[in-house]
Amino acid sequence: MKEKHGGEVAVISLGGEEAARVLRSSLAMGADRAIHLLDPKFKDSDEFASAAALAKAIEKDGGADLLLAGVQSDDLGSGTTGTMMAEFLGWAHATVVVGVQVQPDTKSLQVQRELEGGINETVELTLPAVLTIQFGINQPRYASLRGIMAAKKKEFKVWSAADLGLADNAVGRAGAAYDVKEILVPERKSRVEVISGTPEEAAAKLVEKLRKEAKVI
Amino acid sequence: MIFVVAEHKDNKLRPITSELLVFGQRVARDFGEPITAVILGSSTGDLAGELKTRKIDRVLRAEHAGLAEYNPDTYVQVLQSILNKDKPFLVLMGHTTQGMDFAPRLAVRLCGPLISGCVEYEKQGERLILTRQIFNAKMNMKTLVRGEPPYFATASPGAFPGDEVESGGNAEVIVFPVQLTGTPKRKILNRVEAPKGQTDLSSAPIIVSGGRGLKQKENFNLIFELAEAIGGSVGASRPVVDAEWLPREYQVGSSGQTVSPRLYIAVGISGAIQHLVGMQTSRCIVAINKDPEAPIFKVAHYGIVDDLFKVVPALTKIFKDLRQA
Ligand SMILES: Cc1cc2nc3c(=O)[nH]c(=O)nc-3n(C[C@H](O)[C@H](O)[C@H](O)COP(=O)(O)OP(=O)(O)OC[C@H]3O[C@@H](n4cnc5c(N)ncnc54)[C@H](O)[C@@H]3O)c2cc1C
Repeated sequence: MKEKHGGEVAVISLGGEEAARVLRSSLAMGADRAIHLLDPKFKDSDEFASAAALAKAIEKDGGADLLLAGVQSDDLGSGTTGTMMAEFLGWAHATVVVGVQVQPDTKSLQVQRELEGGINETVELTLPAVLTIQFGINQPRYASLRGIMAAKKKEFKVWSAADLGLADNAVGRAGAAYDVKEILVPERKSRVEVISGTPEEAAAKLVEKLRKEAKVI
Repeated sequence: MIFVVAEHKDNKLRPITSELLVFGQRVARDFGEPITAVILGSSTGDLAGELKTRKIDRVLRAEHAGLAEYNPDTYVQVLQSILNKDKPFLVLMGHTTQGMDFAPRLAVRLCGPLISGCVEYEKQGERLILTRQIFNAKMNMKTLVRGEPPYFATASPGAFPGDEVESGGNAEVIVFPVQLTGTPKRKILNRVEAPKGQTDLSSAPIIVSGGRGLKQKENFNLIFELAEAIGGSVGASRPVVDAEWLPREYQVGSSGQTVSPRLYIAVGISGAIQHLVGMQTSRCIVAINKDPEAPIFKVAHYGIVDDLFKVVPALTKIFKDLRQA
C-alpha cells in the first residue's frame, strides 16, 4: 500500500521481549518505525485492557489512516482485540479481511470479508479504519541484510503505562474484564471404536466394518 | 435478563440461533433469569413468530429499513439502546463472522467483559464461569467475568446442541422502536458465493478429507488415490487450503463447506471445532490419526491410531482389490 499510495508504516505491539523481536524484524522487513508498549504493569492484560492501551498509544502518536491487525492470535485466539481497538478509537472496521483496495479520492477503502460457506462480501469503509486480516493473504518479504542494518537506525519508541496516562487499575490484570480461573485439557467423551493391529490388519478390519456393520460402502 | 441476539439469513434463522437459545435456556435455569430473543432486520415478522414458540419470555423485534443488511454500526447502536432500557445479565451472540464482527464493539461500548468462542458454562456459587477454547482447541480456559453485569459471550458454532432447544413457550412479541442516527461508516456493496465448480461437497455420498498431517502438497496424492479407489470426493481442512495445496472450494468447516455424507474419512485432521461443525453430522466418520488424544476421535465412529502414511496406502490397496474382484 505504501509503494502504491505513499505514506508511512509504523508497527506497534504490546508485550515483553518477544514483542520487541517482532517489532525489530518488522523494521527489517521495511516498516518505517516502531512503538513498543512495554511495562511490567501490562502483564496479564486481557483483550479489553490491551486494546485500550494500544488505542491510547495510537492516539498519542497522532492517529493513523489505517490500522491492520490479525483476525485472532494463535494462542488465546479470542478474535476481539482488533475490533475492540476500533471501538476505543471510534473508527470504522471490518473483520476477516482477505482483500483491500484503497480509494484515495474518497478517503475510503473497499475490502473483501470472508464469510461462512465460502461467501465473500465486499464493503466500503470510511477512513480511518481498522481491519482484521485473515491468515495467508500475503507472503511477507524476507528481511534482507541491508534491511536488518537499516532497521537499527529506525525510530523505536518505548512507552510505559504512565507515558500513556493510564492509571494502574486500567492496565494489566487490574484492567482486565475477566479472570482466568483454570486452564485444562478438555475432557473427551467418545463413542469411537479404535481398530488395532498392523496398518494392513487395521485397514482390513476397518473395511470389513464399514461394509458389514456400518453398511456405508 | 438474558439476551440472545438471533442470527438470520435469507429469511431463515441460522443454526447458531438455536444453539444460542440452548445456551441461554441452560443459564436461565441456573440463574433464574428470563430470556429475551432479539431480532434485528427489515421484515422479521415470520422469524419472530418462530422464536416466540421457543421456551423464552420475550421476543424483541427491532425493525427498520436500515437494518435490512447486517452492519456493525447500526447493530451496535440498536443493541445499545435495547440493553440500556433493561437490566441485562448476559448477552449471547454467535462466534460467527457476523457475531464476532460486532460483539467486541458492543462489549466495549457498554463496558462489559466479553468471553468469545464459549463452548461450555457452569455456575459456581453465584458466579458465572464461561469456558472457551485456546491454542486451537487443544486446551480449555475457564473464565470468571468481573464486575457488574452485563456480561457478553459469543458461542462457538456446534458447541451447544441446537436440536435440544426447548419449545412450548408463548413469548410476548414486542416491536422495539428503532431510531438510527448518523451515517454508518461501513456500506455493503455486494456478496458473492464461492465458485462451486466440480467440488460441491454438500451432496457427495463419500468424502475423504486430508489435513495438515499430510505434511506437504505432494502427499495429498494419497488422499486422491484413496478417494478414487472408494469412489468418493476429496475434502480438506483449512490449513491445507491456506497453504495452497488445494483451492478454497475443497475446504470443509465453519468457513468452508458443510457436508453430511454417508461416509467421511478424516486423515491427518486433528478435529478443531471449526472443522467438526462442517462434518459432524456425517452418518459414519472414520479418523486416521497418530495422536490418540486428537479431538477428531470424539466424533469418529471408527478410528485407527497409526501413521497415515502406512494406513492410507493399505486401505487404498484393499479398495482397489475389491473393485477388481
Ligand atoms: C475463524 C476460523 C475459521 C476456521 N475455519 C475452518 C474451516 O472451515 N475448516 C477447517 O478445517 N479449519 C478451520 N479453521 C482452523 C481450525 O481451527 C484448525 O486450525 C484446523 O482445522 C486444523 O487443521 P488440521 O486438523 O488439518 O491440522 P492440525 O490441527 O495441525 O492437525 C494435524 C493432525 O494430523 C495428525 N498427524 C500428523 N502426522 C500424522 C501422521 N503421519 N499420521 C497420522 N496423523 C498424523 C496430527 O496428530 C494432528 O492431529 C478455522 C479457524 C478459524 C480461527
